[in-house]
Amino acid sequence: MKYFGSAANGTFDFRLIPRIETYPKVVSFSQTSIGKSVILALFGLGIRFFIPASISVIVFTSIFGLTTFLPAYRRFILAVCPITLVLLQSTHDPLLFGSILTVVILGIFLYWCAMGWPQSRFGKRPIAFLLTGFTALILLACAATRHSLTYLILWGLVGAMASYVWFIGYALLDRSSKPKRDLTLELASFRPLWGSTNTPFPKGAAYLRRIEAQNPEQLAITQLKGLKLLTWAILLAVFQILWYRFFHGYLQIPTSAQALAMSVRGTPVAWHLRWESQLLYFFESVLAISVTGHRFIAGCRMAGFNALRNTYRPLSSTTIAEFFNRFYYYYKELLVDFFFYPTFFRYWKGNRRLRMVFATFAAVVFGNAFYHFTRDWQNIMDEGLWNALADYQVFLFYSAALATALSVSQLRKQDRKPTGFVLGRLLPTIGVGLFFCLLNVFVPNERTYPLIAHLRYFASLFSIHF
Amino acid sequence: MQGKTEIREFLQGLLTSYGDSAPFHDSEPLLSGGRLQSIDAVEIVMFLEQKFGVDFATIGFDRDRIDSVDAITDLVESFKSADKRSE
Repeated sequence: MKYFGSAANGTFDFRLIPRIETYPKVVSFSQTSIGKSVILALFGLGIRFFIPASISVIVFTSIFGLTTFLPAYRRFILAVCPITLVLLQSTHDPLLFGSILTVVILGIFLYWCAMGWPQSRFGKRPIAFLLTGFTALILLACAATRHSLTYLILWGLVGAMASYVWFIGYALLDRSSKPKRDLTLELASFRPLWGSTNTPFPKGAAYLRRIEAQNPEQLAITQLKGLKLLTWAILLAVFQILWYRFFHGYLQIPTSAQALAMSVRGTPVAWHLRWESQLLYFFESVLAISVTGHRFIAGCRMAGFNALRNTYRPLSSTTIAEFFNRFYYYYKELLVDFFFYPTFFRYWKGNRRLRMVFATFAAVVFGNAFYHFTRDWQNIMDEGLWNALADYQVFLFYSAALATALSVSQLRKQDRKPTGFVLGRLLPTIGVGLFFCLLNVFVPNERTYPLIAHLRYFASLFSIHF
Repeated sequence: MQGKTEIREFLQGLLTSYGDSAPFHDSEPLLSGGRLQSIDAVEIVMFLEQKFGVDFATIGFDRDRIDSVDAITDLVESFKSADKRSE
């Protein structure tokens, strides 16, 4: 399967990890009891690299063992185990326990309402209701008297809701997909067993239904691909450690955050070091997102769902839009599903370009800001609403710059014509990398320093000082 | 169906813009299968709006329904019949 439209481009197809899922003997062996046990054992050993506690690895692998040997109960196991584990881990904190339970029950209730009354106001626009309700909850929590019981309960609910809101959102979006009424898979996709950030990996139950292994052979292939991806994640993680030791330890090149901080303090590092730190940060962000995403998707595949990778060859992107798609696929999908499409289908239908730009800004500026602002709810709790909003000036600038670039990239897509390796591939690839290197000036310490500090640092890369 | 040929040609054009000239079946999922990007869904939507008058704001959007030639053909057919019924 090709990912993200990566077409045959004539590049050398070298593979560090062989395509074991295409070897008939390996696939046949993987369908036997011994083969399944070997895959599970290898996966357990591999995931140990990322999970320090042995007991967690054993629990994790055992659950995958259940889904492997009892595929008929896969959805039920995956629906029950994650929420049970989360609740068991929060028994020491009644507030956390109650908040999570309340939010999960609320999610089920909203899903039930959206399915039951599709023609109601809520049924037609459940995401708008969900996000407005979440915003109202945050405002209510901000208005509560500090350290009162109401304050603690409300912020507890905000925290739990921040963790689950996009998962519930996908369940609500799934109301129109077919086949319907499959609460077990909806629950399985609520902070799934294989892990995720606040962004659902990989999307919601509708997507899981499409990619679920339907027979032992498909399961074997999917699990072998999961094992390969986990191996890739480990290799990248090792490379990541060596990278940091070499560049930031041995060569002592400051991190991007350090270089910015030193500039703000009036003791800037040398011009070439500022550039080096920016370039390194770009590659480090690609490495970090790759390791995290590969690990989650490897687990997802182990459970029997052949999900697309989260990060797939971002450095080969020839446009900014393509990089955005390849870099953090499931987050981009979230922005598209929750913000881009609803805007695109409703507004400026008569003007193709304006329609595209408006929907892109709705997703990348509003959606992106909403996601991060609510994800960092503790900042709102600590700083207060207005201070927290003010802290987002750098992020908003970053989002607006990204949205502008993405809009231009999408509008130019139609005119793009391949013109050989240098003009058609090499130079655009370098240009995309350079753009994100420079845009990343506005990523680290984005809430620590004001926008002007980031702009000064940005200008200093070009020897402009003000 | 005449529309099916147009739909197929349009999707082929999108794939070609990525340098993807490999053949595809009418039932092959192109968006969820990764051969097309989600932004291409927008191109498909605009194509269906302009060519067949499909209004997604009215019928609701489900990416599965524009995932393959067959799915799009079904969508267009069901939209046309619903449109006739409402006349």
